[in-house]
Amino acid sequence: MMLGIRLPALRDRLMGYAFVAPALLLLLAVLAYPAGRSLRLSLSSGVRGSSGYSLVQYAELLRSDVFRQVLQNTALFVAASVALHLALGLALALTLNRPLFGRAAFRVLALLPWVVPDVVAGIVWKWILNPLYGLMNDLLFRAGLIAAPVEWLTAPGLVLPSVVLANVWRGFPFVMIILLAGLQSIPVELYEAAAIDGAGTVQRFRHVTLPGLRKVLIVALALDTIWEVRRFGLIQAMTAGGPGIMSEVLSTQVFKQYFQFFKFEYASAMAIAMTGLLLVVSLPYVRMIVRQE
Amino acid sequence: MRRHRTSVRNVLWVVLTAALVLGGLAPARSQEAVTLRFSNWHFVETVWGRSLREAINIFESRNPGIKIVPEPISYGEKEARYQTECAARRMPDVVKLHNFSLTMFFEMGCAADLTSFIQKEGPDFLKAWYDTPIKVMTYKGKIMAMPGDFMSMVLIYNREMLKAAGLNPDRPPKNWTEFLDYARRLTRDSDGDGRIDQWGFSIPASKNPGLPLRITPVVWSFGADFITPDGRSSALNTPEFRAAFNYIVELATAHKVVPPGVTTFGPGDVRTQMASGRVAMKIGSGWSYPIINDLNPKLNAYDTLEAAPVPVGKVQITAAWQSGCVMSPFTRYPEAAWKFIKFLSSKDMEKKFFEDNRVVSSRKDVNALPMVRTDKFSRVIVAELAHARLEPMIKEWPEIFDAFTTALHEAITGAKTPDRALADAHARVNAILARGR
Amino acid sequence: MESSLIYSRSRLVAAVVYAWLGIMGVFVLFPFLWMVLTSLKPEIEALRVPVTWLPETPTVEAYVVMWFRKHYATYFLNSTIVSLSTAAISTFVGALAAYGFSRFGLAAKGTMMGFVLTTQMLPGVLLVGPYFQILSRLGLYDTRTGLIIAFLTICLPFAIWMLKGFIDGIPAELDEAAIVDGAGRLTVFFRVVFPLIRPGMVATMLFAFLLAWGDLLWVQTLTSSEAMVTVTLAIARTVQEFFVKWPELMAGALMGGVPGVLFYLLLQRWLVQGLTAGAIKQ
Repeated sequence: MMLGIRLPALRDRLMGYAFVAPALLLLLAVLAYPAGRSLRLSLSSGVRGSSGYSLVQYAELLRSDVFRQVLQNTALFVAASVALHLALGLALALTLNRPLFGRAAFRVLALLPWVVPDVVAGIVWKWILNPLYGLMNDLLFRAGLIAAPVEWLTAPGLVLPSVVLANVWRGFPFVMIILLAGLQSIPVELYEAAAIDGAGTVQRFRHVTLPGLRKVLIVALALDTIWEVRRFGLIQAMTAGGPGIMSEVLSTQVFKQYFQFFKFEYASAMAIAMTGLLLVVSLPYVRMIVRQE
Repeated sequence: MRRHRTSVRNVLWVVLTAALVLGGLAPARSQEAVTLRFSNWHFVETVWGRSLREAINIFESRNPGIKIVPEPISYGEKEARYQTECAARRMPDVVKLHNFSLTMFFEMGCAADLTSFIQKEGPDFLKAWYDTPIKVMTYKGKIMAMPGDFMSMVLIYNREMLKAAGLNPDRPPKNWTEFLDYARRLTRDSDGDGRIDQWGFSIPASKNPGLPLRITPVVWSFGADFITPDGRSSALNTPEFRAAFNYIVELATAHKVVPPGVTTFGPGDVRTQMASGRVAMKIGSGWSYPIINDLNPKLNAYDTLEAAPVPVGKVQITAAWQSGCVMSPFTRYPEAAWKFIKFLSSKDMEKKFFEDNRVVSSRKDVNALPMVRTDKFSRVIVAELAHARLEPMIKEWPEIFDAFTTALHEAITGAKTPDRALADAHARVNAILARGR
Repeated sequence: MESSLIYSRSRLVAAVVYAWLGIMGVFVLFPFLWMVLTSLKPEIEALRVPVTWLPETPTVEAYVVMWFRKHYATYFLNSTIVSLSTAAISTFVGALAAYGFSRFGLAAKGTMMGFVLTTQMLPGVLLVGPYFQILSRLGLYDTRTGLIIAFLTICLPFAIWMLKGFIDGIPAELDEAAIVDGAGRLTVFFRVVFPLIRPGMVATMLFAFLLAWGDLLWVQTLTSSEAMVTVTLAIARTVQEFFVKWPELMAGALMGGVPGVLFYLLLQRWLVQGLTAGAIKQ
């Protein structure tokens, strides 16, 4: 029994490792093998009986015009989804930050789409956007805005926007809640001081709100981007990447290559490339966290 | 406050403990009886699922030491799941597959060699089946699966809708020119509200495993094929293929005889369309009738629907479908598994599957039964087996067909011109085949 | 009069704000409404062109079929057990690790935290095959335990990250005061920190629960028998069937969403509070 002001530094340090150990060991145990195996697979040639290392799979990725289209779709999908999540989330968070009638109820309701599994959200929106039996076309028809059914999920220019629409519906509440929490932690005194200095609404937004939200915005942006690059169930349920490869993103293409064409090596290479991409995208955020230590 | 704090913590502990305890309770597998896991996608269907469970009951009552555990799976995920299970040596004991992936499973070592079991049944055992199914089940001289149903794709049409459009319901279209004419006449506004609510034809043109069966008859009958006979390069650039491709695309774009959104349809959507009287013709086979009948009994599918050979182009040809039962090479009970597989492919059971599901058998004796020979659908299906061809059973086929379907989507939705789409697909298929070499 | 100008201007602003909230409210809620309406229609009516909004012949047939014929009770049980366990374990183990990361100067802490974050980035498709082999070898294939272990790897990194933020928000002086009083680290954790991060734990549990509940890829690959099917898997399989019965599908989807919604409604009070108190105050 150690009595005294401080526990011995070493024993304390070891306690620290003890706290962290269960989680890290679990993660290491269950992720190291699959990740390692995938990496190894991606570096094999895929030819039966050969066991050396080869960059053939990555070379084929670079050559593939399908992969290029998939990258483009993914970039567009993620950029649009994250941008709209942020825009809508911020607008609503700002609105809900002021005292309003029914604010609490609205906050509760607004998170409902996020509670729905993304596969279910995809199925529901596919039904809503159905050209013949769907609610969307029926509404537009009754409002006199269209004469013929709009093919939301098959017209080349409309597929990606439709998938983004469903994804925005499903995803903006999470960003909104985080931003709202961030807004509420900005001290009121800062606003009052700015008002006394003669700042108008816009100026207060630029000089008080935005700086105060900066960290939260970065967190939300980074998290959302990572999640949207990995988004699978929603797109698979709505279009399965179609028509053709017009809404095919990295996750659905890896799935196809692995589970439908049985090209395990190629799929692994694509997935490793996807992981690499995510690492690059989130590097600033990781550095920000690590730098704080 | 104190009490509240502690009680929340206690609740969390209880939840945690309960979760760990309950989570650890895995379903106990009975150790006394021999248990066989049987996976089949038909378990999720109303009619066929019931039929299968009845068959299992019959087997279990005749073999009291053996218990069959059904494992439903959806049609699209089965290959992925089985091959993952095979890689982990945990495949279900008996698995239903079809010609699409049989060769792949044989090659991967995921099917047990049944030759010794068959030899024990006597020299005439295999004579009960047609040659083609047995050939499909054979790999490097060994028989690796037992045949199940063997069907040909036919044209299914609604005679009432033909009559209402002024066409002779006993005279289905015989070639593609007539087919287009019929389809146009059958695409109309049937209730006078100014909107077209009925279409002549529908096909599941989304990227789904059911599309090859329904579209290869069209392509092949134009005298075209996907790959050259030597299997080394793409045949998508031949004039015949271009003709077939344009014909199919124009059904949707120029003539609009298919419902909008055709590139999103799966087989279920097309069956639903037919069941609700929205579509007059489709390409299908025997299994369609019980399903459509179950979807809408008021349609009286068995009376209202008819079967006819697929329209003829340059060639009279259609697609064949072959299913087979595979035994897991890792099963602990090969004798029991063989008993079950033999039971499923026996004359009695194949007869039952015909009665329940209207599927035609790989067995000659079952197809010779009067009930099969006189049924108005199976009569046509059995007759068409003579011109039926199987899809190529090479491992690149899923990817090749995917490239074709992409081109089809691009052309139908107008993202590319048909020629451009086809040219791009041709290049992709060549790249796919070159890789294999 | 200046005051009436201000008054009417703020009235106008209020009107705009409420209109905007109203539009957003409709946007958020109408899919749910459409799900409910569709689920109450008989099959044929759901496929009517032109579309009917209110069911002409309302029926709960879809719900009855889904619950009884399709063994929804089993699926519910599986989903609940697996999701609750995952949420509880990942939150608890994650809290321990988060405390470790927050309060101790560990060697290579940056690397370890970076590792935790990186694990979020591996696509599930890649891990599924090898997971299958591991679980099979352990005899955990087609069990709820196996699913829980698999889900932990998704939820645990997330829990660590979130809870670290919360614990950072609690001043270390509280810890040190308790240590001075003679408490060991574990006691400090349970008696001092744990109660204060309750909102954060709740938020994390909710997120983990929803992540596990809504997963499709893992359940699809790591289970095989009917007895292990989860709600989300059942819904997805309904779509992949040979015929899609939309009222049944919508009924299933709604029933499948109820536990998540209930869980959220019960805990939402702590959710915002938790986010306010913790992760944001870096």
